Amino acid sequence: MMRKSYERFIVLFSWGSFLFLSAILLFIFIYLVMRGGGTIGSRLVFGDVSPLDALLLRQRVFDGLLPAIVGTFVLVVLAVGIALPVGLAAGIYMAEYASGWIKKILSALFDVLAGLPSIVIGLAGFSLTLFLHKILPNRIGPCLLISALALSFLIMPYVVRSTQMALESIPLALRHTAPAMGATRLQNILYVLLPNCLPDILGGAILAIGRAAEDTAVIMLTGVVASAGLPRSLFEQFEALPFYIYYISSQYANPEELQMGFGAALLLLVLCGILFVFAFLMEQLIQRRMLR
Amino acid sequence: MRLLSRLSVTVFRLAAFGSGLLTIAVFLMMLSFGWPLLTDGQFFTLLAGEWNPANGLFGIYPMVVGSISIAFLALLFSLPVSLGTSFVATVLAPPPVRRFVLGIIRFMAGVPTVIYGFVAVFMLVPFMREQITGGSGLNILTAAIVLAVLIAPTMIVFFVSGLKNVKPEYCLAVDALGARPVQKLIFLLIPQAWPSIVSGIIMGLGRAMGDTLISLMLAGNSIAIPASVSDSGRTLTAHIALVIAADFSSMEFKSIFACGLVLYIFTVIVVVALRWVSPGQDLRSI
Amino acid sequence: MSHLKKVFWSVLMLLSVAVITEASDLDKFDAEKGVLKIAGGTAHIPVMKEAAKMIMQKNSAIRITIAGGGSGVGIKQVGEGLIDIGNAGRKATEKEISQYGLHMVKWAIDGVGVIVNPKNSVTSLTTKQLNEIFSGKITNWKEVGGGDKSINLYDRDAASGTRSVFWKKALKKGDVSTKANIVVSNGAMKTAIAGDPYGIGYVSVGHIDATVAPVALDGVVPDLANVKNGDYKVSRGLYSITKGEPVGLARLFLEFLLSPTGQKIAESKGFISVQ
Repeated sequence: MMRKSYERFIVLFSWGSFLFLSAILLFIFIYLVMRGGGTIGSRLVFGDVSPLDALLLRQRVFDGLLPAIVGTFVLVVLAVGIALPVGLAAGIYMAEYASGWIKKILSALFDVLAGLPSIVIGLAGFSLTLFLHKILPNRIGPCLLISALALSFLIMPYVVRSTQMALESIPLALRHTAPAMGATRLQNILYVLLPNCLPDILGGAILAIGRAAEDTAVIMLTGVVASAGLPRSLFEQFEALPFYIYYISSQYANPEELQMGFGAALLLLVLCGILFVFAFLMEQLIQRRMLR
Repeated sequence: MRLLSRLSVTVFRLAAFGSGLLTIAVFLMMLSFGWPLLTDGQFFTLLAGEWNPANGLFGIYPMVVGSISIAFLALLFSLPVSLGTSFVATVLAPPPVRRFVLGIIRFMAGVPTVIYGFVAVFMLVPFMREQITGGSGLNILTAAIVLAVLIAPTMIVFFVSGLKNVKPEYCLAVDALGARPVQKLIFLLIPQAWPSIVSGIIMGLGRAMGDTLISLMLAGNSIAIPASVSDSGRTLTAHIALVIAADFSSMEFKSIFACGLVLYIFTVIVVVALRWVSPGQDLRSI
Repeated sequence: MSHLKKVFWSVLMLLSVAVITEASDLDKFDAEKGVLKIAGGTAHIPVMKEAAKMIMQKNSAIRITIAGGGSGVGIKQVGEGLIDIGNAGRKATEKEISQYGLHMVKWAIDGVGVIVNPKNSVTSLTTKQLNEIFSGKITNWKEVGGGDKSINLYDRDAASGTRSVFWKKALKKGDVSTKANIVVSNGAMKTAIAGDPYGIGYVSVGHIDATVAPVALDGVVPDLANVKNGDYKVSRGLYSITKGEPVGLARLFLEFLLSPTGQKIAESKGFISVQ
């Protein structure tokens, strides 16, 4: 009898835990929809400016989220654009070439990098800015480029990891086919191995995009500001969606601004939801291929 | 062709070594900016000292205490809930539901931190103020609760992968003995998956220590050494975010590199601990 | 002519005058282009935003970015050449001026007022009471005539000019409890107090609106009129600082702040014109 009751407790507690977490997720979503759902519309993004004028850069948007959305978009594209090729190359090296203690040390370093708090990466980016500022006076301050560089550094371990894992899990039969027919090692990697783990790499890239899109701590130290307009140059400061949400939560000037903060939060949540669906589809693809 | 392949190896190697070296460079950068603090043993004085720039005190002890107490409290809240959820996702739920449970957890992992913070500012803070802790509602407990939710998916993913990878032969044997699910969990799965569970705990702690936004938005950021969970407190990460803008030649500014160093060293400890516990796993799997 | 019509016409007249002055004050920006980076004092932000918006609407080739950080940051960053204009809610110190060769322009007068939540029944404090609240000696609102609730202190970080003025002139350099919550800007202070029924903090008088309640200090309410006539002592100038004599866009921007239109913006945001 004793036994049964503690078993029952564990079962109940476990289900309770899961329901609790799901309830929080559901609550956040419903709360944001209730408070911010009404703001979703072209006014939220474009303010008082007509969408066409805003998109054609004929008029600047002041009371809308467009600069923050575009800022985040450009930032993510830049950061992933830097991290993807470098991470891919590093991942290939780790899986196909590195061995022995070099591999051990490198993978320990990538682990440390993956574990570093984003604020530390941001601090490093900021130090880099100060350093560049000293050697190139009045050229470089905190800006979009520095943020993108720091952010790419933050997300690179994910790309390295997914590439390395995917390459290492390719079955030996497939791995040896092309070399047996006279292909070089590079040809084998480029034409056989890499295409074969494309979905895994894409999965890693999506994870990286998600991290880059949601990060606030890195950009807070390296160039994001509350008011900058659409990004036009790599050497200027910029706006970003997560920072905007943080900024509004601590210092909204009036109810309308707070309203926009809720709209922005809902928008960001939906964007991350879309990314999640993509990642999910990618995974289905991988699994189907594995079954085949 | 030969040249091309030589070249490509160089490129791959360069990418790997370059990024690896950058990781070290980050540490050296912290070290060089914080160097003046380290030279005459000031670093340890800073670690143990109080923060009060007006009186020339630049110690980061209150932030170390803040970081550790928020992180461990979050872990304490998160651990049972995460374990419970991982049981549901591996054993208790019928197989089709397991995938759904994992899907929800994975989605939770993707929800931006700032959204948790944003909703908590408007919902949890007033609730804590009026019902639980009194005061302003911005305190260590509030931050720890939100952080617990934030780190749960990370831990659950580790736990689930550990519980799932227990050898099927063992599971079959235990099933054949007529064990109930909970018995199977307690006597087979948990002991077998122990390394993964410890890894998950270490990972969760690492994420909790490393988070900036939640404590910045919810912990109150006071510079006093917190005496209870209902006190306002400041973490190392929030301290960096708050002081970053100070005078570049001041002691205040240098002290944030001391915070950076502490966080860096903490990360290295986490990585070492993780590899020691379960050599197969690493931080990048999340 | 009916009364309503009269009002309508006079409003229209005023508006057209406003438009004309704006147009002429903004004309100087026509031939300009480039980026102007502004950071620092957070009391300044509403005025900066409005001025920047006007200028950028007039000429889209000009881009102005505005960041906060606090007065200390504004002074330091402009001194280091990271930004073009640094804002400060306090005078730069002699040391700062000589170290960097700073040039200060004062374009508005402001006060620093104590605020509480509008639900709080306490509307007046003596300097002594204020001192004891901020030093942590008085910890309950009932000790100063309010309800039986503990007092939640809100303070600013060390870089804040608002804090340094408040500390010097209102607290007479008295101790401030380390247990106070720290917020990062005037806007954040207002938001925090508006959300906390038992909170007390201080902001730029220009930022005080219906969401928070000003607290009279020794019987004097911190409002524009009292700051203007000198009855309210915790006052200060709002400064914008450049490294050396301002040039180019920075010069035009500062001139614009001092122009009739710029001063009108300052007044509309709750500050006192320097003219």
